[in-house]
Amino acid sequence: MLPELPAIHIQPILSVVLFALRILIALLSITVVWRCFVSLRRGRRREDPVMMLEEMSTHAKIPVLYWENSIGRSRSCDIVLPDSTVSRDHAVLMRRESGWLITDTNSKAGTFVNGRKASPTARVTPGDVIAVGSTALMLRRAHEGDFKKRRSLFSFQKRIPAPIRLMTTVFLIQILLAVQACFAGGSFHSGPLIPFGAMAALEWVFYFYSMRILGRVSFELETIAFLLSGIGIMLLSGADVQLAYTQIAAMAAGILLFCVMIPFMGNLDRVTKWRLAIGIAAVILFAVNLVFGVASHGAKNWIQAGPVRIQPSEFIKIAFVFAGASTLDRLQTAKNLTEFIGFSALCIGSLFLMRDFGTASIFFLTFLIIAFMRSGSVRTIALICSSAALGAFMILKFMPYIADRFSVWRHVWEYADSTGYQQTRVLSYAASGGLFGTGIGNGYLKNVFAGTSDLVFGMICEELGLVAAVTVVMSIMILALYTRLDATRSRSTFYSISSCSAAGMLLFQTCLNVFGATDVLPLTGVTLPFISAGGSSMVAVWGLLAFIKASDERTYAARRRNG
Amino acid sequence: MRTTGSRSAVLYLLAIGFLAGLCVFLYGFLFQGGDWAMQSFNRHLTGDSQLTAAGKIYDRNGVVLAKSENGKRLYNSDEEIRRAMLHTVGDTNGYISTGVQYSYRSQMGGYNLLTGLTVPTGKPTGSDITLTLDSALCKTAYEKMGGYNGAAALYNYKTGQILCMVSKPGIDPANVPKDIDTNPKYEGAYLNRVLSSSYTPGSIFKLVTSAAAIENIPDIYSRTFHCSGSITVNGNKITCTEAHGDINFRDGLAKSCNIVFAELAMELGKDKMTAEANQMGFNNAYQADGIKTAKSIYDVSKAEENDLGWSGIGQYTDLTNPYHMMMLMGAIANGGVPVQPYFIGDIKTSFGLSVKKGEAKDGARMVKESTAAALKDMMRYNVTSDYGDSMFPGLKVCAKTGTAEVGGGKKPNGWMVGFSSDPKTPYAFAVVIEQGNYGRTSAGKIASAIMAQAAKRGK
Repeated sequence: MLPELPAIHIQPILSVVLFALRILIALLSITVVWRCFVSLRRGRRREDPVMMLEEMSTHAKIPVLYWENSIGRSRSCDIVLPDSTVSRDHAVLMRRESGWLITDTNSKAGTFVNGRKASPTARVTPGDVIAVGSTALMLRRAHEGDFKKRRSLFSFQKRIPAPIRLMTTVFLIQILLAVQACFAGGSFHSGPLIPFGAMAALEWVFYFYSMRILGRVSFELETIAFLLSGIGIMLLSGADVQLAYTQIAAMAAGILLFCVMIPFMGNLDRVTKWRLAIGIAAVILFAVNLVFGVASHGAKNWIQAGPVRIQPSEFIKIAFVFAGASTLDRLQTAKNLTEFIGFSALCIGSLFLMRDFGTASIFFLTFLIIAFMRSGSVRTIALICSSAALGAFMILKFMPYIADRFSVWRHVWEYADSTGYQQTRVLSYAASGGLFGTGIGNGYLKNVFAGTSDLVFGMICEELGLVAAVTVVMSIMILALYTRLDATRSRSTFYSISSCSAAGMLLFQTCLNVFGATDVLPLTGVTLPFISAGGSSMVAVWGLLAFIKASDERTYAARRRNG
Repeated sequence: MRTTGSRSAVLYLLAIGFLAGLCVFLYGFLFQGGDWAMQSFNRHLTGDSQLTAAGKIYDRNGVVLAKSENGKRLYNSDEEIRRAMLHTVGDTNGYISTGVQYSYRSQMGGYNLLTGLTVPTGKPTGSDITLTLDSALCKTAYEKMGGYNGAAALYNYKTGQILCMVSKPGIDPANVPKDIDTNPKYEGAYLNRVLSSSYTPGSIFKLVTSAAAIENIPDIYSRTFHCSGSITVNGNKITCTEAHGDINFRDGLAKSCNIVFAELAMELGKDKMTAEANQMGFNNAYQADGIKTAKSIYDVSKAEENDLGWSGIGQYTDLTNPYHMMMLMGAIANGGVPVQPYFIGDIKTSFGLSVKKGEAKDGARMVKESTAAALKDMMRYNVTSDYGDSMFPGLKVCAKTGTAEVGGGKKPNGWMVGFSSDPKTPYAFAVVIEQGNYGRTSAGKIASAIMAQAAKRGK
């Protein structure tokens, strides 16, 4: 029984108001996520030709649709030339900051621009004639008449949500979350106002920096990230305000990383030069981790550096994506995956040695996505998967204690007080929250071990309700869907591959977190992107978001306009 | 670029996997959310068990059978009522899985899908459940069972409301004995024998054999059988309680002559007997307010000829469930179609909304209309000619007793099943007393008492 409070008449009214506000939070969140997705889709470049190529003998016009176009006899090329003297993958015509370039990709007959051999790269300006095999092509600008317009100007302009409105709605949601956190337990606390204020300041500074100073036109991805981070930080401030401070500091570091990575990736030549160094740095970091690492709850995946404890594997995720992605001309010249397979084996092997199997499986899945997007070879993937399955089988056979983790899977209620402790608590407290939750700070799951990190999905269900929790995880799926829809419109295959693998990584990590905690999959102990308490994870997630942001063609458009 | 872009469709696979997993979770949340939430470790339910915020349980007359106060679950002050209602109400620990405190624990504990275990108005309280049972009637049945174990059930065959449902052995839920797990006296104390047990039926099964005979043998009423105390089939003796001499079908049932019915079963054969038993609800589990009942069994697929004879008089491997028998009586009384018996009257949430209301629902036909009329007539004759109408004064009861041999050196189980054919007292009953010996003297005593009291209280 609750002690009788003097304000007994106010109590039910406050409680009803907070409940109503939670319904509002859920509905506004759904709206924001959906409007962001609509805005992302509508804001994409139309699939109209960027340039035209004129075949000099027949004067046939060939549209150039992408920023990087493969030219060759093979049907998988973007520009297919039915000419037996043309190699299967002859050359790549690509647009860079400096203008159009053509790179010969080890063709037999070579590639010539105005009669001069491209070895391997040559500049092309409109009016230049490119000779590939016995075919001559003249680069021309695309004119209105060269293609049929798909949509009228009117329908294209129709109702793209204004970035400021989306951002304001997210801010409103955060105000409502702060109200929830301040009235946790039925009386007012000012504690959560400090993290709220810090978060709001960070967000709005970043917003105006992006939109006004950098002159970017899109802010949807950041808006979704703020929505999720806001939910996470306010949940944490209801559990332990110290965690919320750490989380905000990590978010600031993450945004900084985001701001550094985007201009860094703007120059693809620079990225190409740095790839090897980044890969080596990742391997060294793993080695350092293995030697100096600190074990924490079964996995030796921490490094203590002064007062800060970091989880290197989180940062290596970013390096992994860097090392895996590649521009189209390089994909065509270096076709085998050997180097990347070796690199991946080192990374995943190190994670196994650290006994961090959850992260190892995330790396493995990301490896599969990158390997498939680069090679397209189903046979290679099948081979890799079957050897991985064999490896997993051997591990289970020789290390039976790992198999023990699986014995509880789908039987958690039989082990409610031993190995199924965490999952049963998640399910029980998640169901206790109903559709709209018990209110921030009023839950009990936060007291269960890893409640604010590995089990945080249950905490969202308990305190904010099922609707908000599902919206959160759906928004991460929507990020992945958008990335896929945007894949051919990026400025380079480097961006397509890196964004798809980063989005895949985020989505798979979400799967492991949500389904592990709720006993749909075995519990592995990984964080929920943007939400879970964990500094390294928060920083890394913003780094992964930078890949997705970079694949959006508009990200680099603004800079050109200004400069 | 196009090729690389199209390969990014692997993300769809991942998204499909994600959605599939989410559906698994949401399915569980939707259909098992109550079970997930109602755990003793859940701190949204403070106190010593998951019932500490649970609602009240009333009988049909508003008698409080269980309630929660100051974090404790309290039961009725009368110990005999507590014991008599135990299996329907359930125990505090939730060991009696068929009790409403367990099977309706999520509603009782205040769980609902929309708000989980919280109520926006701040004070979590569970739903109240009103049973259709009459605690006074149950107490009578419990008292009359005395030191015997068994099951007694009575229902209104017009409305479907169960008025009496008592099972023994049991315990006092307010004072759970310490030696409950070790003392053999309490073996099966958590089992509601009305719903979850099946007993050898003995002679009450002759009603099934009778129905098969009425439907398949045109000259059944004009036949004469001869009982010399036993017959020998395949070198195996089937015995009767006494030598009835020349006897017809009608008297055969009234005197419960084994020879008549063993011969009929063998003459009808496995197929017709099995068809009749299945039609009457054997080999089928029923749902009583969402609780699956134990099946009655009639299986002669591996029976020899003499086994078939024994099966026709309710021995061999035959088993019957008291709830099913009561329902069969209701079916015969109603012209062949039973009203499904239920015991949850209504469930009312703390803000007064009724979320479940029991109502009369017809079950599948169990007996042909003409057969039901014939059985009713013969069962009435059983009472007037043999058992004596003084057992049920003024109620025009139609009934059949049974004395089922169970072997193992135990005394037979006594059965009595029947119903009042008077539309003013539409009650049907099934009573079984373990090792009670003769059905008429053991089960009959209880049937007589509860029918009389039900009739009196129903006025």
